[in-house]
Amino acid sequence: MKNIAVIFGGQSAEHEVSIITAHIPIIQSLEALGQFKVFPVYISKKGEWYCEEKFKEMSFFQEPDFEQQLLKFKKVNLSLNNHFKIIWPGITQKSENIDIVFPAMHGTNGEDGSLMGLLRFANVPFVGCDMASSAIAMDKAVTKQVLSAQNISVVPYVWFVKSQWEKNREKILDDIKKLNWPMFVKPVHLGSSIGISKVKNEQELLNAVEVALHYDNKVLVEESIEDLIEVTLPIIGNENPELGSVERPLNKTEFFDFKDKYLSAGKGQGVNAQYSQIPAEISQELSEKVKELGLQSYKGIGCSGIARIDFLINSKTGMVYVNEINTLPGSLYHHNWRKSGVSSVDLVKKLVVFAEQRFEEQKTLSFNFNSDILKKFKGAKG
Amino acid sequence: MNNILRKLISRYYFSFPKNLVYMLQASEYDLGEFFAWYWRTNDFRTVSKRKSLVKTPKAMVLLILSWVILLSIYFSSLFFAIITAHIWYLIAGLVFGPVVLPYILVLVLLVMALLQIPLEFVIINKAKKRLLKNRALRIAVAGSYGKTTMREILKTVLTEGKKVATVPSNYNTPLGISKFILSLNGDEDILVFEMGEYYPGDIRKLCRLVNPDIGVITGVNEAHLKKFKSLENTAKTIFELADWLGGKPLYVNGEDLIVKNFLKNTSRNQEHYSFFSRNGLGKLVVSNAKTSLIGTSFDLTHGSENKVFSSRLLGLHQIGPLLVAIDVALKLGMTMEKVIAGVGKTKPFEHRMEPKTDSAGVVTIDDSYNGNPTGVKAVIDFLASIKGHRRLYVTPGLVEMGSRSEEIHREIGRELSNVGIEKVLLIRNSVTPYIYNGLIDSGYSGEVIWFDDALKAFASLPNMTVSGDVVVLQNDWPDQYV
Repeated sequence: MKNIAVIFGGQSAEHEVSIITAHIPIIQSLEALGQFKVFPVYISKKGEWYCEEKFKEMSFFQEPDFEQQLLKFKKVNLSLNNHFKIIWPGITQKSENIDIVFPAMHGTNGEDGSLMGLLRFANVPFVGCDMASSAIAMDKAVTKQVLSAQNISVVPYVWFVKSQWEKNREKILDDIKKLNWPMFVKPVHLGSSIGISKVKNEQELLNAVEVALHYDNKVLVEESIEDLIEVTLPIIGNENPELGSVERPLNKTEFFDFKDKYLSAGKGQGVNAQYSQIPAEISQELSEKVKELGLQSYKGIGCSGIARIDFLINSKTGMVYVNEINTLPGSLYHHNWRKSGVSSVDLVKKLVVFAEQRFEEQKTLSFNFNSDILKKFKGAKG
Repeated sequence: MNNILRKLISRYYFSFPKNLVYMLQASEYDLGEFFAWYWRTNDFRTVSKRKSLVKTPKAMVLLILSWVILLSIYFSSLFFAIITAHIWYLIAGLVFGPVVLPYILVLVLLVMALLQIPLEFVIINKAKKRLLKNRALRIAVAGSYGKTTMREILKTVLTEGKKVATVPSNYNTPLGISKFILSLNGDEDILVFEMGEYYPGDIRKLCRLVNPDIGVITGVNEAHLKKFKSLENTAKTIFELADWLGGKPLYVNGEDLIVKNFLKNTSRNQEHYSFFSRNGLGKLVVSNAKTSLIGTSFDLTHGSENKVFSSRLLGLHQIGPLLVAIDVALKLGMTMEKVIAGVGKTKPFEHRMEPKTDSAGVVTIDDSYNGNPTGVKAVIDFLASIKGHRRLYVTPGLVEMGSRSEEIHREIGRELSNVGIEKVLLIRNSVTPYIYNGLIDSGYSGEVIWFDDALKAFASLPNMTVSGDVVVLQNDWPDQYV
């Protein structure tokens, strides 16, 4: 039986969402699959790593005093010396070699490629997007830059960092004013709609930028699409990706905010269980366009394993824009896959296979180059 | 090591007396069943997994008494330790108190039962007298299985034209039925009694109390076989209803092979028996029967009339019981239109082939209260008729099957395999390996998935299913069997 580590939690605004994703459906499905020994690795908000059998139950994290209970457990050490080994230190030190890692981290310090970089160093296969695509997708502005360089339509935007805002506010505002009102102001690195505001005038814009800069030091301002239909498309796979169903979130508030996305989800259903139309009731033509753009974007930023592409559609003009790419959809968007005929157990099974395939392919690449440069080197003096 | 120690000390937990009383209640104060559980169990901390103690007066008295007993043991041992200056008295009291508690509780229970006999006698006699004044037609339903569904069908159909009262579930003992009788208004047209059988003579006792006008025998199978020892004994007990009725009308399930065999070898006069099946009942002839996840429909020819009936009950096996209700209703003078409307209102009763569709589009058929081989066969037959769906079958197997357990479970495995159920989810216990063997015997080509307990299986289901799947939850073991 292979050892699989599911890594979740972390120092991110989406810490709690990550706990849900890790359990529903990942750990539950891996357990039901019965082909792996599951190691639930939890990274606390302080950045401390733990791995305990108890973490397999989500209820542990729902206990009000779970953070106190954590103190009873040993923090684990990692060995990354050409392997990924979890070590429980102590007199009777215990360790487990991990054969495959299933990252279940959302947002910063995890989904942004940093964990993937660590796992590449450890030379261990891991599920989901690789380092580069994770890092690109984590930055909404960079995503737009990469996509538009490949002629994939995105909504007009302006981006800036905190220091620029402080020094050249007027110049940035001039650029922003070239866009059409209303607009969205977004921290570029956060997912789950945290810190996002819709603004209709300059005063609201200033306030919204202040809010966004509270969460992030890089901010994106983009035009809002009116007569909007929002849809999203989950995709899995490496070379020949499989598409889920085009889904239309039926939001209650003006846009799909954190509360809609996660807090309204039904019990035990994971995130995003409700307020969705699957498949979206849009024209065949639009749906095809979404799928085509979805695949282009998935490949365009180099996704592998799993991702979800969000789209904005102007229902009057029929224009479809790619809005953002999420390299670890909340709860793997298992509700969408279930409707598309893929059970969560089959979904995690496929994702593990994709991870192993990518790992095998990377192994065939040569990273060594025999050179005699050292021999020829005559010393610092030259 | 740690775990063994915990098991040893689990008797000394605060929850121990409560768990004992819970288990007495769960086993319906059947001492055999209680001790079977008690001697088998070594960890008393996690006893009530499914349900918890229902705070009936009897249970509360037992709970208070168990604490009184336990504390008296502790205090008297402390008293002896002080006056003799030997700490060993105290230690012995603390150690052995919980060990002797269940036996003392059982003695208390026996005394309570003795005290209850005259009280029950009074209640039952009062009920008998009350019933003498009641003019309602009395229908008695007996059988190893299908009683509750039969009762509900009768109630739903007959309510279209009559005032009907039925004994609530689990009130099928003399005392329960007496309490029901005492709660009646006296203006009912029809009373439906569900008669439970645990030991020979039980049905006769209930007949003596109820004095039924019409009987329905739903069938005989291995339910309670442990107590009856043989199917012959079970059949004899159930047919005490037929014997009591004499020449009065009796409906008998003609699809039941055990009943048929039993009747072949008996000298009973069967002239007044009406046999019902999915094909018809007497002059009622069924054709064009269909069943799906939405319900069941059939055409019924009655003399020159031909009518279409539909019900939300699932499975063709429901047609026979529906015909009983139709026949009774027509004989009582209800119009055909009202009978059709009544049948249209019949729907699955809680946890008995009850379909539910969740937001993901998965249909779950909750058959968790069905723990008998005939019912299992009916469900599998139903699943066989479902086309274009992936089917998952979840079961911990059946309890109380006595010496026939292996045979019955192997047969379930064979049937699941023959029907081509795509996935079978089994809960690890003493009987599911037989189901597995049955599956393997008949070259099962689907997937078998094992779970350590039913709750884990239920929790995994959302992860294993997709839109359009049909999941059957077959039987649920009460805590005393786990």
